Amino acid sequence: MEKSIETIWKEGFLKNDALVAPKLNDLYNQKSKHIIDKFKRMFRINLNAIVIGSFVILIASGVVGIPVMGIGYFFILNTIVLVNRRLMKDLIKIDKNVNSYQYLKSFDNWMKEQLAVNRKLARYYYPLFFVFMVLGFWFSNDIQETFKGILERPNQIYLINNIPVLWTIPIAIITGLLAYFGDRIYNFDVSLIYGQVFRKLDELIADIEELRA
Amino acid sequence: MSTDFYTSSILPYAAIIIKICRAYTNTQEDFEDYYQEVCLQIWRSNENFRGQSEWSTWIYRLTLNVCLTLLKKNSKHHVTSNHLPDVAAEDNRTFDDESLNHLYIAIKQLSEVDRAVILLYLEEKTYQEIAEIIGTNPNNIGVRVKRIKERLKKILDGKVN
Repeated sequence: MEKSIETIWKEGFLKNDALVAPKLNDLYNQKSKHIIDKFKRMFRINLNAIVIGSFVILIASGVVGIPVMGIGYFFILNTIVLVNRRLMKDLIKIDKNVNSYQYLKSFDNWMKEQLAVNRKLARYYYPLFFVFMVLGFWFSNDIQETFKGILERPNQIYLINNIPVLWTIPIAIITGLLAYFGDRIYNFDVSLIYGQVFRKLDELIADIEELRA
Repeated sequence: MSTDFYTSSILPYAAIIIKICRAYTNTQEDFEDYYQEVCLQIWRSNENFRGQSEWSTWIYRLTLNVCLTLLKKNSKHHVTSNHLPDVAAEDNRTFDDESLNHLYIAIKQLSEVDRAVILLYLEEKTYQEIAEIIGTNPNNIGVRVKRIKERLKKILDGKVN
């Protein structure tokens, strides 16, 4: 190598062609690819979609005759939205003017907090989704008719206070499993979508931390 | 963004933005996207400029923050230290100056953080300024710059891919 890298850098950029600024096109309408803006946007879209979805489920469940499920889902989904809207306020506060380490760290911290809160929530909402689904079907007219038919046949089913006890056992097991594995199901779900971004962030932060040491 | 703001506050520093964006992208299309995004962020964030550093330093910081966090989901463009040869090979943009071309290809074979360090060093930022922009310990910057320069020299001499 004849020239030093400093010389190559200086001399190379003396030529005019090297530094031609691209034209800016309609900046207002450009979709921001910035990771935090992207997250804010995705977050907003997700939350709005959940709210719309909760209304759709509520109406549809009434139409198909399982309103209990619809009402349950409506409350669970909107609770998730409320919690995440609060979390989003902290995301908006992240300052882009700090140094790279603080900036990435702030985002990483927010992400971890958000994941921890949603992981805890998942342990409740996955089993609750299942319970409301079962209740929805249980209180539907079709199932009640079928159940009455079963009851008319003697010794077909063991009841305590009109509740088919043996039927509740698998429901309880599934509910318990969903509560136990809720956080893991959530982790899996999140890693499918954001796994690559998280790995990238960890890699960057680790590299800067090595320099800070 | 007003044309006035772009002309008076961004365009004089376009060279800085171009040099950094160029080092973090593989295609002209990505480069233009990054450049545009940086300009957008400068415009959005300029009210937060507190004058504690120079405007140019602030632009370096913001440009790096934007580039470091513009994470492509597309694996073709996903840059990690494990995929370095591909990254260099994918970029077919050229400068008129052949040596500068080689230097850029070599810089792009570094990790994202090393790229930031060497770009700031080449822009004659002091170790203290580099440390402030990246958020690291200034004592380690000198050692890291030395190591990066050695690696770049090896790459340019053809001793490393």
